[in-house]
Amino acid sequence: MPEIKVTPLGAGQDVGRSCILVSIAGKNVMLDCGMHMGYNDDRRFPDFSYITQNGRLTDFLDCVIISHFHLDHCGALPYFSEMVGYDGPIYMTHPTKAICPILLEDYRKITVDKKGETNFFTSQMIKDCMKKVVAVHLHQTVQVDDELEIKAYYAGHVLGAAMFQIKVGSESVVYTGDYNMTPDRHLGAAWIDKCRPDLLISESTYATTIRDSKRCRERDFLKKVHESVERGGKVLIPVFALGRAQELCILLETFWERMNLKAPIYFSMGLTEKANHYYKLFITWTNQKIRKTFVQRNMFEFKHIKAFDRAFADNPGPMVVFATPGMLHAGQSLQIFRKWAGNEKNMVIMPGYCVQGTVGHKILSGQRKLEMEGRQILEVKMQVEYMSFSAHADAKGIMQLIRQAEPRSVLLVHGEAKKMEFLKQKIEQEFHVNCYMPANGETITLFTSPNIPVDISLGLLKRESAIGLVPDSKKPKLMHGTLIMKDNSFRLVSPEQALKELGLGEHQLRFTCRVHIQDPRKEHEMVLRVYNHLKGVLKDYSVQHLPDGSIMVESILIQATAQSEDQGTKVLLVSWTYQDEELGSYLTSLLKKGLPPTTA
Amino acid sequence: MDRECSQLLPSVCAVLADSRQLVADDTFLEKFLDWFKTLTETESSLLLLQENPCLTELITCVLKLKDPSSSTLSFILRLTGIFAASESCFQYLQQRELLISLFGEVGPLSSALWEEASVRSGWVQGVHSMVQHQSALHFLCNCGAIDVIFTLQGDPSLFVASAANQLLVHMLTFSLQSFQTKLVNIKDCDWPVCAQKLIVHIEESLKSNSASRIKQSLKLLTSMFGCCHDLWTEVLWSQLSERIVYLLEEKPVHAWHSLVDLFLSMARSPVFSCPECSLWTSVTCALEHLNPAQVGRLAVGVLKLQECPQAVRIQALSVLLQPMDCVLKAASQPLEYPGLLNRSVNDSATVETLLSCRSSCASLLCQTLAHLEELQYLTYLPVDLPYIPLLQSVVTILQFCIGLATPASCLGNKISRILIGCFRVQRSALDILGALSHRESHSVFMGSVSDILLAYLKSPDTSPTVLKKSFQATLKWLVRLSEAPSSRDHWQQTEQFLRDLFLVLQKRLCSPYWEVRDSALEFLTLLVKHLREKDGFRQVLFSSEVPKLMEDLLEDPESYVRASAVTAMGQLSLLTQLISKMPGIENGNGKEKSIVAQLQEILSTDSEGFPRRAVISVFIDWLKEGHPDVLKDTEQFVSSVLQAVNSDLDWEVKAGGLELAEVFSAQTLGRLGLAACPYAAVSSSATRSTHLSESLQIFCRVKLFEFLFGALCDCDRPVAQKACDILITLKAELCEESSLREGTRAGLSTEAHGIAWLEETLRRWSSCAEPCPRGNADGAGSQDPNGVLLVLRTVDLEGLHGSLNRSSDHIEKSPQSLLQDILATVGTLEDNEADCY
Repeated sequence: MPEIKVTPLGAGQDVGRSCILVSIAGKNVMLDCGMHMGYNDDRRFPDFSYITQNGRLTDFLDCVIISHFHLDHCGALPYFSEMVGYDGPIYMTHPTKAICPILLEDYRKITVDKKGETNFFTSQMIKDCMKKVVAVHLHQTVQVDDELEIKAYYAGHVLGAAMFQIKVGSESVVYTGDYNMTPDRHLGAAWIDKCRPDLLISESTYATTIRDSKRCRERDFLKKVHESVERGGKVLIPVFALGRAQELCILLETFWERMNLKAPIYFSMGLTEKANHYYKLFITWTNQKIRKTFVQRNMFEFKHIKAFDRAFADNPGPMVVFATPGMLHAGQSLQIFRKWAGNEKNMVIMPGYCVQGTVGHKILSGQRKLEMEGRQILEVKMQVEYMSFSAHADAKGIMQLIRQAEPRSVLLVHGEAKKMEFLKQKIEQEFHVNCYMPANGETITLFTSPNIPVDISLGLLKRESAIGLVPDSKKPKLMHGTLIMKDNSFRLVSPEQALKELGLGEHQLRFTCRVHIQDPRKEHEMVLRVYNHLKGVLKDYSVQHLPDGSIMVESILIQATAQSEDQGTKVLLVSWTYQDEELGSYLTSLLKKGLPPTTA
Repeated sequence: MDRECSQLLPSVCAVLADSRQLVADDTFLEKFLDWFKTLTETESSLLLLQENPCLTELITCVLKLKDPSSSTLSFILRLTGIFAASESCFQYLQQRELLISLFGEVGPLSSALWEEASVRSGWVQGVHSMVQHQSALHFLCNCGAIDVIFTLQGDPSLFVASAANQLLVHMLTFSLQSFQTKLVNIKDCDWPVCAQKLIVHIEESLKSNSASRIKQSLKLLTSMFGCCHDLWTEVLWSQLSERIVYLLEEKPVHAWHSLVDLFLSMARSPVFSCPECSLWTSVTCALEHLNPAQVGRLAVGVLKLQECPQAVRIQALSVLLQPMDCVLKAASQPLEYPGLLNRSVNDSATVETLLSCRSSCASLLCQTLAHLEELQYLTYLPVDLPYIPLLQSVVTILQFCIGLATPASCLGNKISRILIGCFRVQRSALDILGALSHRESHSVFMGSVSDILLAYLKSPDTSPTVLKKSFQATLKWLVRLSEAPSSRDHWQQTEQFLRDLFLVLQKRLCSPYWEVRDSALEFLTLLVKHLREKDGFRQVLFSSEVPKLMEDLLEDPESYVRASAVTAMGQLSLLTQLISKMPGIENGNGKEKSIVAQLQEILSTDSEGFPRRAVISVFIDWLKEGHPDVLKDTEQFVSSVLQAVNSDLDWEVKAGGLELAEVFSAQTLGRLGLAACPYAAVSSSATRSTHLSESLQIFCRVKLFEFLFGALCDCDRPVAQKACDILITLKAELCEESSLREGTRAGLSTEAHGIAWLEETLRRWSSCAEPCPRGNADGAGSQDPNGVLLVLRTVDLEGLHGSLNRSSDHIEKSPQSLLQDILATVGTLEDNEADCY
């Protein structure tokens, strides 16, 4: 029986690093190849040894698909392709392909900063890896090979994020990656057509949450920054190179414009240009409002945001600074933090996840006395705020997507076990489909009953419609014909055409049944009695008594034989073709009941 | 364990034992375990438990919990295992009945949480850590744990199943490692009970009808033979070999994959290397019975072995060559070339069937090509490879893939239809084509290789990844041909090829795909580097449009391409300089802007890091190699580069700038006879002093110190660290003698200053850094040698070196920080942890 197998190597009941293996109709696909930033050793990468045991990776895997540029979805890719040795195709959308290397470089810098880091990819490896990537457009069906095809759908979440449909024949799987079902300031909502996949693999980060809109969080953010600046404080926003930083820049730029604020906003590194470049390049991926506004005014040309110089940190007066890296573990953001931490008027806003051990993590968990190098203690008096801007679908959104795609079963990944369990039950109740939530390393096997498409010949279709069967896509109809299986395809044609195509002669198959009748009379008299009886019973049928003594009822032939030893018993041979089986059986059973007594 | 940690530990244990307080992030527990692993390696585990009773309490507490979380339970199982690895600690835990409660039948095994893969995984890992002494083995044998492990071999979780298998291997090897008596037969009953139990289990599994049980046992044996090379393994093999051969003779062979792994693992063990060993009979049997798609890995593995009967090697090679032979024969009838094989090992019909089927053809060829490529890189191949026919078969495959072959046979037609446009096969074939260049032969190259390479390089249907492989193969052949002694005629033919190649490159450099432009530039860089000494190559290169196109790509919209163009131009420029010295060749030196100026502009204006990084590494090469444009005025060159780098925000550009500064300072000191070379003539102290002061003035003129001190204050650790290293070297050179004189004269305090003081000094320098006329050493600030020396002596470079040497994550890594984080995090990060990136 055909089956689909799914094994998460990462993101199975956790939010660590996504890497899911799907085996569908003999094709093996890896969905995402993420990295866990919480580890400094090989544990940061998925354990690929489970695939390498299957021989050469490039022979085993048919393709790798990356859903979006976040490192927990693509961070292990250069390691996988340049160090583990996968040399096959990698698919992602155009914006993801453009932005991925920037984030990978950013992370490479973080690791170089650490001591004793080994087994990590180089800049050249990132480039070589990106050169292997095949970029895809939304809704473009990409043929990976003769049988395997993939198609990307808009997922919201971040610029370029996509859901992917993976299809082999009539079997299909949809992988959502991370997605967002509500449009936000920059991006639209995820959308997929009613593709009815055999399996929908959905993220479930906010499986039990109904989140307030991102707009509320943005308002909150602006309020906090504004208050701080108003009282003369400095605001530090540690960010990664690209992604959330640009969203927040646009947010602040618009707000500064509207409120006519004068405090300077600085951005460390030359990141704004890069962001401008990509947002401009991929304007079609942003939401409708941005696209419209773009014609009148370029939203990504910031009037208020300027490049930062490290001397500015000591300038008096309020300011807002975006600085890397995002977790305050080293570099410029940490340097500024040290300078500003002692003043309660200042504020640091952490807009994302921080790994254990980093200064970012420590201050978020409320620690206010931090030990720095040389056992110095840094007292943190500045305000510390955490703002989550991550755009994932909440419970409502996940249900909405399932309703939209109508899958035959659902599999949850990228979430916590307890929350998943709750959502799983809800999905099973509401949609009456099976829902799975495998842990990392666990394989879920799904048996499918694939639809097999059959072409029908025009002649046959015309003939069937002539007898009143008008084709209607909503009502399935039963059709008769001959099924020809040739060259991996199926065709339904009329029997005549089949014979002609295959060069076969026609053979008539007749069924003959013996019926014993108790009648002492002579043979021809008995036949006459049968004839009269049938004529009387089968009024709507043509019943003929032929000159050779036999009887024809439509195409059914009835003959008498005299071979019985018992004079009182006559044998009738009832013979019919396959097409008249119904009438033949009826006649046989009728005759078996015997002839009515003679009234003479 | 230090005092601070032992003070924090009780509170942490209390948190972990409280089922209401979830530790949000599982990396905490992983790192916590890492710490205990390190601790138990250096300290007595028993002492650790005795001095920190909270640990034992934690285990007891979690055991008593009604509803512990699966992650906590899994953690406790692993932690207990780590402690129980020490025998004394094992007894300690045993006395408190903790081990039986955790690993015995009444523990987690019988609870609902056993359904969780993480708990089963924790149990297996705990047991694995524990098995370091015989007491642990006895305990496990007596408490029924072995049967649990047998069951876990077939666990639905790959991770648990694999860990259980590894555990059994560990138990088997451990139970037998101290077993010294000569083992003749397993049934002699002198084998340890645990080992006997495991071996019976393996035998039973191999005899069972369950394919999965057979595979599990084969995997177990594979790992075991892979890691244990004791003599008893041979006894075990003799016990099992009959059954294994039986599995091999089944039709179809279900466990072929695991069997191949097993044979490979055994073949690498010295125990089985003797030519009379029965293993080789089994390997021969496998090479015969399995089809080429299944057995390729075994064949290549056999050929890599140092010790192996020659007959087996020859058979293995035949297995690998058979598909190639088949392709060659399918392509041309009658055969233009001798075939690859005198006789086939397997039934050639099997190979033909595999090759004529769409689903198996490409994968068989890819595998075979990859295996044959592996052989090319072996330093010693103990069998003769039919080089020419093999090369021809590779070329034939490449022809099939782009429709260049017109096969005569029916099979050839089928293969041709399947392979046309197949990128996978194209890539693999080009890889081996490149690898085959090591047996260079000019006539072979000119015969068919050059044609097929040009065809791929020219074809508009060639995908970017295939094109890159074509470039790589072409480069390998050209480099080999250039290194080999060849006749004038030969090289003239190569020049014709180069002319065709440059025509193709002209097109490829204008490709709409950045990947193609980049690969073409990378290819050109290497080509120029390797063939720069060949006059003919230079003639062909400069008579083409390629140099101009390369230069145009310095303005490519894609930063990766700009970076590659910079590197390529860097190489080309060295060549141009070489040519300018040669009469009769126009080098286009009359153009408006020199390449140095162009690259300097990129360094100071390009908005992306990659091109700027490329410029700086080209400049380093130029400085090292003595590029004439650099030599014209090295000081001016270095000074302007350092100035540009100083204001660069990219840390790698800065690191590059520092390397350039290092090269420059070493060259300057070396030129003046001040390099720390043990063989250098010792100069008189007066001369040395003059030279020192001269060097110092040069460094001040190029503002080397301003740059180095600035970099020392950089927030990126690698930059500051490198700057610190260079400054320490310079200080050793420059301050050694002068410090005595200057220091005493100025009456300097020996107080060392840190970064804050240095930043203040730099600010002062920059405020008075109005442009001083060159050569004027009297100016203040960075231009003043005495001032610079003063700073160099005063900054606490050694202290900084120490702190910079510690990585930025040294706090992250400290156990104390981890414990503090666990305590602080409890209950606070509910919302944050789900918010990845």
